[in-house]
Amino acid sequence: MIRRGAFLAGAAAVLSGCNRYQTSLGGEAAESANFLRLFWTFMAVCTLMYVLLVGGMLIALWRSRKAREALVVENGRHHASAPILRPLLIGWAALILVGLSALAIASFVTDRSNAANASHPKLVVTVTANQWWWDVQYSLQGTTTALRTANELHLPVGVPAEVILESNDVIHSLWIPNLAGKQDLIPGRVNDLQLWPKKTGLYRGQCAEFCGLQHAHMALDVTVESKTDFARWLTAQKRPAFAPQGPVETAGYRYVTSRACASCHTVSGTQAGGTVGPDLTHFASRRSIAAGTRPMDRGNLTAWVADPQGLKPGTNMPKIPMRRDEVRAVVAYLERLK
Amino acid sequence: MRRIVAGIIAVAAIVLIVAAILWTQRVNRSDTTTRYAAAGGAKAVPAAAASPADDGNWTMPGKDYASTRFSALNQINPANVAKLGVAFTFSTGTTEGFEAPPLVVGDTMYVVAPWPNNVFALDLTRPGAPLKWEYRPKPAAAAKGVACCGPVNRGAFYSDGKLFLNLLDGHTVAVDAATGNEVWRTKVADIQKGETITMAPLVAEGKVLVGNSGGEMGVRGRLTALDAGSGKIAWTGYTTGPDKDVLIGPGYRPPYPMDAGKDLGVTTWPGETWKTGGGSVWGWLSYDPQLRLVYYGTSNPGPWNPEQRPGDNKFTSGVFARDIGTGQVRWFYQSTPHDLYDHDDINEIVLVDWPAKNGQRIPALIRPDRNGFFYVQDRRNGRLLSVAPYSFVNAYKGVDMKSGRLIPAPAMEPAKGRVVRNICPAAPGAKDWNPSAFSPQTGLMYIPHINLCMDMGVQNANYIPGTPFVGADVKMYAGPGGNRGVFTAWDPVAQRKVFEIKEDLPLWSGALATAGGVVFYGTMDGWFKAIDARNGKLLWQFKTASGIIGQPISYRGPDGRQYIAIASGVGGWAGAVVTMDLDPRDPTSALGFTNAVKDLKKRIAAGGMVYVFALPQ
Amino acid sequence: MSSRFRNSFAACAMLALLCSCGRERRQESGKTDVPPIVKSASPDTVFLGSSPPPVDRRAAAFEGNADAIAKGQQLFLWMNCVGCHGRGGGGMGPALMDDQWRYGGRIDQIASTIAEGRPNGMPSWRAKLTDEQIWQLAAYVRTLSGQVRKDAVGARTDTMSNTPPQTQIPPEPVKPADSARQ
Repeated sequence: MIRRGAFLAGAAAVLSGCNRYQTSLGGEAAESANFLRLFWTFMAVCTLMYVLLVGGMLIALWRSRKAREALVVENGRHHASAPILRPLLIGWAALILVGLSALAIASFVTDRSNAANASHPKLVVTVTANQWWWDVQYSLQGTTTALRTANELHLPVGVPAEVILESNDVIHSLWIPNLAGKQDLIPGRVNDLQLWPKKTGLYRGQCAEFCGLQHAHMALDVTVESKTDFARWLTAQKRPAFAPQGPVETAGYRYVTSRACASCHTVSGTQAGGTVGPDLTHFASRRSIAAGTRPMDRGNLTAWVADPQGLKPGTNMPKIPMRRDEVRAVVAYLERLK
Repeated sequence: MRRIVAGIIAVAAIVLIVAAILWTQRVNRSDTTTRYAAAGGAKAVPAAAASPADDGNWTMPGKDYASTRFSALNQINPANVAKLGVAFTFSTGTTEGFEAPPLVVGDTMYVVAPWPNNVFALDLTRPGAPLKWEYRPKPAAAAKGVACCGPVNRGAFYSDGKLFLNLLDGHTVAVDAATGNEVWRTKVADIQKGETITMAPLVAEGKVLVGNSGGEMGVRGRLTALDAGSGKIAWTGYTTGPDKDVLIGPGYRPPYPMDAGKDLGVTTWPGETWKTGGGSVWGWLSYDPQLRLVYYGTSNPGPWNPEQRPGDNKFTSGVFARDIGTGQVRWFYQSTPHDLYDHDDINEIVLVDWPAKNGQRIPALIRPDRNGFFYVQDRRNGRLLSVAPYSFVNAYKGVDMKSGRLIPAPAMEPAKGRVVRNICPAAPGAKDWNPSAFSPQTGLMYIPHINLCMDMGVQNANYIPGTPFVGADVKMYAGPGGNRGVFTAWDPVAQRKVFEIKEDLPLWSGALATAGGVVFYGTMDGWFKAIDARNGKLLWQFKTASGIIGQPISYRGPDGRQYIAIASGVGGWAGAVVTMDLDPRDPTSALGFTNAVKDLKKRIAAGGMVYVFALPQ
Repeated sequence: MSSRFRNSFAACAMLALLCSCGRERRQESGKTDVPPIVKSASPDTVFLGSSPPPVDRRAAAFEGNADAIAKGQQLFLWMNCVGCHGRGGGGMGPALMDDQWRYGGRIDQIASTIAEGRPNGMPSWRAKLTDEQIWQLAAYVRTLSGQVRKDAVGARTDTMSNTPPQTQIPPEPVKPADSARQ
């Protein structure tokens, strides 16, 4: 009894550690809500059966103790129990049949519902996994305009979206528990994931398949916002990068566009056109640095630019020998890239 | 009585058979409404204004503004061509691919060598044609590192006492034809961005038209007009970008709705990819002095990986007609929208007067495209008159004559994680840069081309200025039949093959047609061949020192005799395995071409040399 | 099989496994001792009586290190080396899998070539890559002609290209290229 109490207390403590940013009990999208409903249905049915089973067992124990005292065995036969046992067993079997059928039907209905949701996506986003960051591209319907961002996913609330999943190196898995279940990203294959967010909010997705040294630092900031907010974000993202202001930012601009940074990163509107690293055009508008490794602020940004290996050992971004004023200039310019 | 009945039955049978034949023929003809019968005898003839009477000179690579590459000289004919012998030779001391044709003006021959682009003037009046002067432009050697397919040069242009040529490192120069002194030098392309110039300029109306190369380096393609007198830039028409950069104004009349719209050079590209979208102008230009329009094609979009540039990618892989005075676009036709396989549209455009069904003559342009189709278009407005495949094509299903649009074959589309096998034609197309010749005598187009197919896989291409922007793994091999080269004589009116010659190696040389009824071309293993213009019978051949990828010419010497000249010197994309000493164990080297010419290194060596032939006196 | 034999076999196998451990020491950027890229390590030339400077001993930490080679291979793709040099067979640039080295085939000479560029078209990467990345690239380039220990190179790539696996490439003798091709 004490042990069970301790377990319950522990579970409660663990569950209270879950925040609303990353929980499978949120149900903030059609898919996760469906699954949540299914989960609770399973939970209810299984709990009922469990309670009945345990109850039956307890009764049987109690009865057998009593029977040992009261029942007399005549000619090697139990007389008293038989008339009750048969209907009970039949009823139990029927209950199992009904319960399993109910669960099967519930899961079938959920699958159908998710498939129906998936049939008419209004927004297509391609998420490509890399060690260890997410490349996110929006292809807007009716135009060839494509937007490239990284480590953040913006979705308008109430709009069904299809997320195309690809990988450039190893197998990753995308898991945004508030919105949907996991889906693997496999090199050389195209997978997809349906998201139909129903509630605005900030959520956290992460890689759910071990993918190397920095697997733990591979998060995706998900923002579900109103349609107008999403449209505003999209407009802002379509703009080319802001021009540098003042000598420090200009020095940073020159460094970023002409030196090693440009070998991997793109800053739209400049000659930095590298595609092997995250797009930096609107870098400073993101919530975090290096796929959710650190929140976006000047201190973290400086630390990241000066020594990425110190913050995220093993990342493909090398430590570039820079003077202190160069670091400051690059950080100043990156902060301009809202 | 019985005999009479038998006679009547026989006559009736004959009448029935003849009627049936006539009827089926009529059915056939109505089946192919887009094709016109050559049986009527009507031939295409070169556009008169663009193709003046032959004066025995060869002042531009295309021979005339109509780009016929046809010489009206007729001393050499099928009866005597076998007696052809070497008149003189000249070594340029180069080991790069020699694609340029010699030019002849009066009593001087001008030879433009591949990098370092030295020009040699040879005195034709003296025995052995000794050197008159040499011009050394000294282009930057670093340019060789950004020249995708060999540091070649496709020729100079003579006009008004000056020789105009492009240097590999992005400069256009004018040289005094009498002295070899440089008159002006203008920078029109930047090697730091991966731009080079390999094309031959075209000079008309006092303007020198120059395009950049670098479709594999993420450049932004353009055609630049320079003032022939001063070298100052008059106008620049970009291939991609907003209408004001492309020089699209109110006078723009696209032949089909697919090419109509505002700022298509931006809206048919994702994001800012049009800035690195290729569409360079490295091929041939033709000019119609009557319409005052210059015609040229644009290169493939960049990168090769099509997944990085969803959309039609205007105005790459298509044909522009621009007003020569202002550069304004009159019309544009995109032969290969959203090109998937490096199918540039830069091939030669021959201007002809084309016989229509009703007996009228339509000012037309005819061109064998890299995508395997032979296009006949009205050159006033770009409308398609007829289209037919002149080579084996499985990468496309045809051309929709109503919308003008190429019909893609979705199964052949390369995508990430999927290698597509047996794409025909391969990346160099059914025919690459090497120009065809058009003979008004036979009405045939003589097309030296290739028969290669390829496997292709794509991956993400990273843009770094001055480095390749390709994103594709390619491996080429011989197409159906196993022969890698084909020489096709094509009737552009009936749109049918008249004869073809199978060549083992890819054909990378140009063709020359002459009024004597002899057609010349060369092979990559060094054979210079003369064939009968009517039936393709081999009449004469000569083995030169290296492989031939040059353009043959014919001229009248100061002594009044007809001469034939050709440059020998293997190289270019097809010959890179020899000139760059590539390793054939890697099938993807030279962007996949090496796999198709693995044997070339064992058959030929590099070295630049001009050969001039004449009949014995 | 006697248990003693089995034990000693297992011990030998373990020993053999441990021997190859050094091949894969992970190099964390910024924490490795990176030798300087010396300009004078350029082409094979006459040193007027003295012998050419020896290869920096720290360069050996890159050569034959699977981690460095793998990173170099990735950079070879990412930095578009593959566009000019193919999968080693060349193209716009010379072949890297043969026995000809225009500017020297030692790892420090290759690093110098990458960093400084060469006059016939090889661009200079000094400002675009870190020294460490250049050493990694040089280490990978050495594998193309079979110059490094076989247990450190990758046996396959993920592309359609069917070049012979690097573990199968016979080591080419390092020779200077003939001068005409420079």
